[in-house]
Amino acid sequence: MKILKFLTLLPFLSFSCDGADESIQITEPKPVEEVKYDDTGVLFKSYKGLVMAGYQGWFTAEGDGAERGWHHYQKNGKFEPGAASIDFWPDVTDYPKTYKTAFKYKNQEAAHVYSPYDEESVDLHFKWMKEHGIDGVYMQRFVSEVKGESGKRHFNKVLANALKASKKYGRAISIMYDLSGSNTADMDFIAKDWEELQSTFKLFDNKENPQYLRHNGRPLLAIWGVGFNDGRKYSIADIQKLVEKVKGPTKKASILLGVPYYWRTLGNDTENSTLLHTVIKSADVIMPWAVGRYNSTSYTSVAGTHLPGDIAWCKANNLDYAPLVFPGFSWGNLKNDKSLYNQIPRGRGDFLWQQIAGAKLSGAEALYVAMFDEVDEGTAIFKCKREGELPENADGKFVGIEGDLKTDHYLWLTGQGAKWFHGESGFSAKKPERPL
Amino acid sequence: MKKISIYLSVLAVMLSAAGCKIDNYPAPDAQLFGTFLDAETNEPVEQDIIRGSTIEFIEHGYASQTKQVMIVKNDGSYRNNLIFANKYTITPVRGNFVPTEPQDVTVAGATQLDFKVQPYIRVKDAKIEKVGSKVVATFKIQQTVINNVKKIGLYAHPEPSVGEPMRTVLSDMEINAATDPNKVYKLEIDIPANSNNLKSGSQYFFRIGALIDAPESKFNYAKAVRLTL
Repeated sequence: MKILKFLTLLPFLSFSCDGADESIQITEPKPVEEVKYDDTGVLFKSYKGLVMAGYQGWFTAEGDGAERGWHHYQKNGKFEPGAASIDFWPDVTDYPKTYKTAFKYKNQEAAHVYSPYDEESVDLHFKWMKEHGIDGVYMQRFVSEVKGESGKRHFNKVLANALKASKKYGRAISIMYDLSGSNTADMDFIAKDWEELQSTFKLFDNKENPQYLRHNGRPLLAIWGVGFNDGRKYSIADIQKLVEKVKGPTKKASILLGVPYYWRTLGNDTENSTLLHTVIKSADVIMPWAVGRYNSTSYTSVAGTHLPGDIAWCKANNLDYAPLVFPGFSWGNLKNDKSLYNQIPRGRGDFLWQQIAGAKLSGAEALYVAMFDEVDEGTAIFKCKREGELPENADGKFVGIEGDLKTDHYLWLTGQGAKWFHGESGFSAKKPERPL
Repeated sequence: MKKISIYLSVLAVMLSAAGCKIDNYPAPDAQLFGTFLDAETNEPVEQDIIRGSTIEFIEHGYASQTKQVMIVKNDGSYRNNLIFANKYTITPVRGNFVPTEPQDVTVAGATQLDFKVQPYIRVKDAKIEKVGSKVVATFKIQQTVINNVKKIGLYAHPEPSVGEPMRTVLSDMEINAATDPNKVYKLEIDIPANSNNLKSGSQYFFRIGALIDAPESKFNYAKAVRLTL
């Protein structure tokens, strides 16, 4: 009788045991293993200590094969005296391949430009970087442009040129998506495009691309444009999802976020949302956009306490920080407004050095230079024509590098800053003088 | 007339009794205290008790978000012994250090909250001595931000809470430039020339201060030194 009772209870006992096992399995999901990269031969294991510039690469010339006309040189479909979107004119003396334009110098000689669609031109840019000790560049990938077929073809060609040249000259390279003009729906496109780039160019392959920038043990991807309060058609939450997607459960990449200048205090150019801080904390590096936020007169009062405040915040939140420096700003032709020529003057490099020193003395460990080749907004550091040697532009003009400087002066000065950030001694707030 | 005053006093008693009946909330029984510490050296950051750095705090749970303030003692410490146990958002503001972020803190019982800050200026190798008929201060200036140093000063007062806002005698110098951390600065106070405020045989407190040129910034100091003249 007792045995019978026991036997009838048995199935219940075993059932309850099974139930317990099941519940344990549910509460303990398998931990996802983080991806590990082989960093044998990798040239740049961290952004720390580096001085890198942004590389637009968006110019094309008629006849360069890109079939995009005078892209980013032209205005309203024309690139001729009175119609241009550039303020600075690239000095193309050293370029093997140049394109004749409708612009003429005073002596009636035709003025030429270059196209980054040409491998030779991009090669020359990376050669200059090596010559002056500039560590490398972030290749801008404009979402609004690469969504289209011709834009994608162009930027992939420029990227291929740059990957080849950066490998040849041992310069760091990373991709930066510029989200200007994007909308919420584009986030899926970016994630897909990024996956495609990785496989097309073997970006994470330490043998194929040992020069691709890594940070915190992973390849670094930069995403520019989160938290700006200028009426964008995507939200901070969209970027949060994008970052999660790009990193994935295996934490495939490290992320640099391009944020507005007042990201910490959530004022001025920044959306007043603490979600921005949440997203920032999920990234690895931040780079606040400083172009136009100050000039040489207001720099110290704006950045003097702002920079160390930013750096302290990032340290407390275990983030890295790369302040932006720029040589000056000019967009008179782009904006059709003569008062905007030389809007933020370069002062023979005084302004650039003021920011390099300001960043260094405030405790910054890396720099983002805006930009290597941006002549539309006149922030380019690469070789540009000097004052007095510029093509004529109907009743407008072009803006030149100061006449007594060499055309590569801003490359040289940026290189001096790079030496300082690499730990070389002999630098201070006093701008270095270039030996004659 | 007499009747009216009786009525009035009765009314007053009734009103105050009624008032007592309503105000039966617990008294503020928590304490909040701590020190401003230099994030690099871990030493206290010297302050001014008047017109010095302040701590703003907002008690959670009220729609008004009213900012209350605490002041800081010269040695960089602060203490509030009459605070309600609750959650607060606390921010040190208008100080002699790089701006810091608000933090949410639960205050219960005796709650210690130190602030790790980056002082704008560190006054290094400070020495204050009586040399002949003068009080001589020598020191170096280490600025942690790129802003100009606006002013340096030597301040004297009979109380230990001496500083720029609280002094009877001073000797100061406009700098308005970035400073060299290796340069030795020297400031002097002539005792006979200030005999109204500095009496021979009495003791006074002396303190070296330096002010950075930044919005709402306050003086940074070395520790006050007591001298008998």
